Amino acid sequence: MSKKKNNLFGNIQLTISKRDTLITVVIFVATCLLCFLLNPISDSDNFLNMLFLMAVFLISRFTDGYFYGLVSSVLSVICVNYIFTYPYFAFNFTLSGYPLTFICMLTTSFITSMMTTQLKKSEKIKAEISAEKLRSNLLRAVSHDLRTPLTSISGVIQTVIENQDTLTASEQASLLSEAKDDAQWLIRVVENLLSITKITSSPAEIKKTPEAAEEVIGEAASKFVRRFPNIKLTVSVPDELLFIPMDPLLIEQVLENLMENSVLHGKTTSHIEISVQRLGNYAVFSVKDDGIGISDEVKPHLFDGRASGHSSSEYADSKKNMGIGLSVCMSIVRAHGGEMTASDLPSGGADFHFTLPLEENKSYEQ
Amino acid sequence: MNNKQKILIVEDEQSIINFVTAVLTVNGYDVIQAKTGAQAQSMATSHCPDLILLDLGLPDMDGLDVIRFIRGWTRLPIIVVSARTQERDKVEALDLGADDYITKPFGTSELLARIRTALRHASTANAATPAEAAVFQVGDLTIDYERRRIVVRGNEVHLTQNEFKIVSLLSRHAGKVLTHDFIIKEIWGPGLKGDNQILRVNMANIRRKIEKNPGAPEYILTEVGVGYRMAEGDS
Repeated sequence: MSKKKNNLFGNIQLTISKRDTLITVVIFVATCLLCFLLNPISDSDNFLNMLFLMAVFLISRFTDGYFYGLVSSVLSVICVNYIFTYPYFAFNFTLSGYPLTFICMLTTSFITSMMTTQLKKSEKIKAEISAEKLRSNLLRAVSHDLRTPLTSISGVIQTVIENQDTLTASEQASLLSEAKDDAQWLIRVVENLLSITKITSSPAEIKKTPEAAEEVIGEAASKFVRRFPNIKLTVSVPDELLFIPMDPLLIEQVLENLMENSVLHGKTTSHIEISVQRLGNYAVFSVKDDGIGISDEVKPHLFDGRASGHSSSEYADSKKNMGIGLSVCMSIVRAHGGEMTASDLPSGGADFHFTLPLEENKSYEQ
Repeated sequence: MNNKQKILIVEDEQSIINFVTAVLTVNGYDVIQAKTGAQAQSMATSHCPDLILLDLGLPDMDGLDVIRFIRGWTRLPIIVVSARTQERDKVEALDLGADDYITKPFGTSELLARIRTALRHASTANAATPAEAAVFQVGDLTIDYERRRIVVRGNEVHLTQNEFKIVSLLSRHAGKVLTHDFIIKEIWGPGLKGDNQILRVNMANIRRKIEKNPGAPEYILTEVGVGYRMAEGDS
């Protein structure tokens, strides 16, 4: 459908599909059966045209393009003429009103198809608008994410340069270490942006290779421990070696984002549990923390990049907001054919988990 | 007498040269700089540095060609500096003979650690190969190469022949990342190139035998998409 032309023949050529053929046949056969059943118990055959008109309408509505509607209207006219009107099982083109019936059916199918096509077009436009909205949300989140730390970095450095004589060494050190934290935050944001461009430019082209789940989770964990040595991290992996088709760097990034999110937004987080296990044909990754959990206000916008710009002062003021991190996670997981959800734990704290399909899974002997 | 070790930085971004030069000078290294691949080749031959820090994105030539050129005549350690968009180059650089890699943006402590490791490996390799250490030790893990024994936390563990080969290969290059292809070639020969899964299965078994938690390994660390690295020994 990508090369959709606006002329009638373009559509006819492009819209033959199994599904639509099935719909057409089913509706048409049902109508014929109904007519057969009704024929003996009715004196007039007025209902015939009505029923076939309805069939044409339904077919036009539920199939793509003009093709099936037109074919069924021609078939209907022939059926009505050949099977259901006297002389039965013979054509009689001199039947009065025949051309009128034919024109009515044709017009109906044409107009219905046109309306359906337009309806579908407007749905597509709506989807495009919402994708555009998501992009602009992301952009807004990104510029917020970038501006705040940049302001503080350049401010700190300027302060240190201009006040070298008045600031004590320890004051300078603490200012500079703040700037360093902000710069590191910026690095994360940029990495997330890189991943986004990797996904949105060609979702189909994510290079998936079978990776050992425990290796990816293990590396994400060791990086996390280096960054946040004060947080206790528990890692658990299954005894079975799980091979999951994925882009390992992207999934590692999802795990890092989730763990970082737990620390920065759990606020009171002191312990994070990260795990992977097999559930049917899926691998389920989970990141649980013992922080304050997810506030009800941000829950609906958790993954769409808007959590940061939310009116809640707590999040709007927060320098290190959720920003694009979680929406990047969501995009990466979806691009792998998985799903991601978040919930509060009964014990307080948040539980983020996502699934990845295990297709092409081979079993290896131990 | 000047016995400082000399490091050649090959990098085209002046701000990065400045910062790395500052860090290395403060830590007692001599630093020389090259901004292009051609300059790097001539300085490597004329100055005989002890180590090269090579950025893969050079203006005049492919960083990989610089590695090929240098490996043509010397084993002097090369650490590759790569950006995140150069994932594949990184692995190729290692397979061409680079000793290690570091990804931009990197921290200073990470950079210094990589440099120390590479220099130490170079010095032991040059020491006219005196009988290699018979025992390797890191944390609670001891590898006795001659008796083919591995003891973890006081208990002897039984590895298959290939598993033992993998562990000893990694331990002889402890601190250095070994690529999947390199390990596979060393253990199974060149025929199996490209099939990482057999290595991963072996690694999973090794980890279940020697690590407390295979999800949070202490001894054999994963470099996702690249290979494995054994933690540095306590010698």
